[in-house]
Amino acid sequence: MMFFLQSGWGLFIGRFHPLLVHLPIGILIIAFLLEWLSRFRQLAVLGAAVFPTLLFGALSAVAACVAGYLLSLSGGYDEAALNLHMWMGIAVAVLSLLLCVFRKYNLFPKSWLPVSAAMIIALSVAGHYGGNLTHGEDYLTAAWPFGTKEVATTASFKNIEDAQVFEQLVQPILEQKCYGCHNEQKLKGGLRLDGMVHIRKGGENGPVLKDSIPEMSELYKRLVLPESDDHRMPPKGKPQLTPQDVEILYWWIQQGAPDSMAVKELQKTPRIALVFEGMKPSGDGVHPYMPRTEVSAVNDEQVAPLVKLGVKVMPVAAGNGYVMVSAVNASAFGNADAKLLEPLAKQLVWLNLGSTATGDSALKVIASLPSLTRLQLEYTGVTDEGMQQLSSAKQLKYLNLTGTKITDKGLQYLQKQASLRELFIYGTGVTAAGVQQLRTALPDLRVDTGGYRLPVLATDTMVFKKQPA
Amino acid sequence: MADKIIKEANDRAARFFSRRHFLQDCVTGLGATALGSLVSGCNLFSGSGAAPVQSLNPLEPRAPHFPARAKSVIYLHMAGAPSQLEMFDYKPELQKLHNQLCPQSILEGKKFAFIRGVPRMLGPQAVFSQHGESRAWVSDFMPHFAERVDDVSFLKAVQTDQFNHGPAQLFMHTGSARLGRPSTGSWVTWGLGSENSNLPGFVVLTSGGKTPDAGKSVWGSGFLPSVYQGVQCRSKGEPVLYLSDPEGLNRDLRYQGIQAINEVNRLEYETFQDPEILSRISQYELAYKMQISVPGVMDINSEPAYIHELYGTEPGKESFANNCLLARKLVEKGVRFVQLFDWGWDAHGTDESTAVDLGMRNKCREIDKPISALLLDLKQRGLLDETLVVWGGEFGRTPMQENRDGKEMPYMGRDHHVEAFTMWMAGAGIKRGGSWGETDEIGFSAVKGQVAVHDIHATILQQLGFDHEKMTYQFQGRPFRLTDVHGHVIKEILG
Repeated sequence: MMFFLQSGWGLFIGRFHPLLVHLPIGILIIAFLLEWLSRFRQLAVLGAAVFPTLLFGALSAVAACVAGYLLSLSGGYDEAALNLHMWMGIAVAVLSLLLCVFRKYNLFPKSWLPVSAAMIIALSVAGHYGGNLTHGEDYLTAAWPFGTKEVATTASFKNIEDAQVFEQLVQPILEQKCYGCHNEQKLKGGLRLDGMVHIRKGGENGPVLKDSIPEMSELYKRLVLPESDDHRMPPKGKPQLTPQDVEILYWWIQQGAPDSMAVKELQKTPRIALVFEGMKPSGDGVHPYMPRTEVSAVNDEQVAPLVKLGVKVMPVAAGNGYVMVSAVNASAFGNADAKLLEPLAKQLVWLNLGSTATGDSALKVIASLPSLTRLQLEYTGVTDEGMQQLSSAKQLKYLNLTGTKITDKGLQYLQKQASLRELFIYGTGVTAAGVQQLRTALPDLRVDTGGYRLPVLATDTMVFKKQPA
Repeated sequence: MADKIIKEANDRAARFFSRRHFLQDCVTGLGATALGSLVSGCNLFSGSGAAPVQSLNPLEPRAPHFPARAKSVIYLHMAGAPSQLEMFDYKPELQKLHNQLCPQSILEGKKFAFIRGVPRMLGPQAVFSQHGESRAWVSDFMPHFAERVDDVSFLKAVQTDQFNHGPAQLFMHTGSARLGRPSTGSWVTWGLGSENSNLPGFVVLTSGGKTPDAGKSVWGSGFLPSVYQGVQCRSKGEPVLYLSDPEGLNRDLRYQGIQAINEVNRLEYETFQDPEILSRISQYELAYKMQISVPGVMDINSEPAYIHELYGTEPGKESFANNCLLARKLVEKGVRFVQLFDWGWDAHGTDESTAVDLGMRNKCREIDKPISALLLDLKQRGLLDETLVVWGGEFGRTPMQENRDGKEMPYMGRDHHVEAFTMWMAGAGIKRGGSWGETDEIGFSAVKGQVAVHDIHATILQQLGFDHEKMTYQFQGRPFRLTDVHGHVIKEILG
């Protein structure tokens, strides 16, 4: 053992640990399955395969233990987690060897299955902690698909000026690209980066931060070393920082590495201004007719019956679950077809049924679409009755009733529509008094009654010519 | 990277060597391969396995990068370049300098299309006043539009680098002063497809008279598949040339003919499995459907008298007013990009029709009412909030009187000017009553809020839901963009 440590071969062999561990995991699980299946009469023949499988598994487990021990000597791991991982690994090796002996000399046949099961449990625990050591404690839990998850992202800010430099800009970079090796459990180089206190403390080679001088701070210097350099961080093959990430870290250190300052409180260099420019959301951020939450995508079976009618169903944007539906090529779309929209209830945000055969009874279905914000019903058969149905559509912001038979009575039903922002009633039976009443009830609503005219001006028909001299 | 180049080379080779590819290219181009290189992808829904004919239709609607404010664009181009100094850019100082010799400091290092030597300054030939809540300056050349200023955002300091009509128009519509690039409308239809499967996605309407100096390349598809080029429709005579059935051929027979051709194509597909055959089948079907739908949407006779009065339209004539009304009708039916060209704005002062105080004033009268009507009509139908309206020329005009060949001109006129001119945008998330950019006190140079042609393109794409930097098409071994390596979204005019 001493030879290994002194010669430098130790670390080399140790680095085979991640490769070797997968052998006992696979082989011993098969051994356990064979052991269990051989209990069934028809499969009893499998019993003969248990011993050789166990033997291979046990030997590979021993090899993995040795390599793992050598790797652990290089340091940088959380002591407690490492101990648990090591002892569980050793337990697997011991149990598998024990089973070999039992099998070989046919001792305690009743204990074979329970001991195998115990071995598998130890294997699972060892494997899990091993994974945590390599990838970080929250590697698995962060991907847990249920419940709320916080996605740290530097991608876009509504107003970059108000962003907290450390908390909202620096920390997410460290979290994504550095925490993996510099956390509570896996202190590579004795350094933790998961918190300002730990960053200030530095690692085993001293502090990583020299205030206001990024060029003398290891935290920055190592980011810009050539990728082949041993000291380069993150090391070759690991996810790298983007040039923008590096600029942010540089600027943050240059500004004295503050832990609680907003962007606007610090001085901006031309370079960081460019980075921030690029971080502005690529849209104007908020679309007035888009819900704030995300939704799963619709599938083909939900869309197919509509497509058959010539109705277009389109995602509002690539990778966005919400859809817009247009019946511009389906003028026959009528009341009976409205129920085809129900499978899209969660995703349907913008609906264009203009100039179709849609009538009041379709509005019952349409009103129950929970995400619908934009509804075009111009030149359809909807009447005041339908407006009563529509009053239950709580998200509706845009409603186009141009050229329908709506009257003041219909507008009265719409008074309950507090979410409504734009209403178009050009060419309907609505009167000025009805509109006034609606405007009083919903002061935020913009009602367009249309019927615009341009004044007749003398210049409209005047042709300008050279005046005779 | 290498495999992209190889793939493109193979596609190119196939186009040269195979007759079928050659014929295909004339009609639909590389529709299927084109979709593959679009960032937003050709699969409408993740994991979609839509019917093959549909997913191979090059005009099938597609999703943009992010939820769009604009579904359609109406681009009003005043070919010849209108004078900003007689319309929107009010320069009282210039009036004081009228007829004085232009200071040498302004002329130094500058090149003009026609001005030689030292020209005289030419004061504004219009009377300006402020309008709307935004208190925007508009001249008496545009009395109706003056009341609409609260619906639009002005760009007062647009700059270009081309001072001749042809290259400048190409630059304005394709992002390059040289031939060969796709027009904005082509990029947009390539990106979004067409919502209405019975109508083309990109329609061009000209007011008669001259076609634009740059020719039809200003609505060409460049290196994009030719299916995305603008379809020129006419407000007089047949709307689309060569679309109607030959005399004596009734519709049933035409239908059977297309059915037979498609059946042969289907057999061909079964043998060769070439997806472009499916694309061709869908093109035959679109052409057949267009025979019915195009004459319908292009007929303005069915519009009520009130609408004709509003726009000042006269059915059966080729006019800008008719085209404005058609633009509204097309957008209402889901057409993505409607490009209007008006002609006769080149006010050099060589004759009466090009005098800034006579001919140009008559041109303004021809567009003033139709444009105001278009904005109002889109508004009352609830279309303005999803239709982006863009107005402008290919460059501006000088604050100096033109002195062609160093001689005095018979009429008051202005030369081509690239350093500052006015454009405006309206609708689809553009700020209402906004204005961005300023020129110096004589209107020669831009002093604040300079806007480049690529910035206009970036903003149009932005409102349609595209990040202009990510909308690329692989050609000649590298990705191409409408905005090349330039372009900033003009955030100052976004609402």
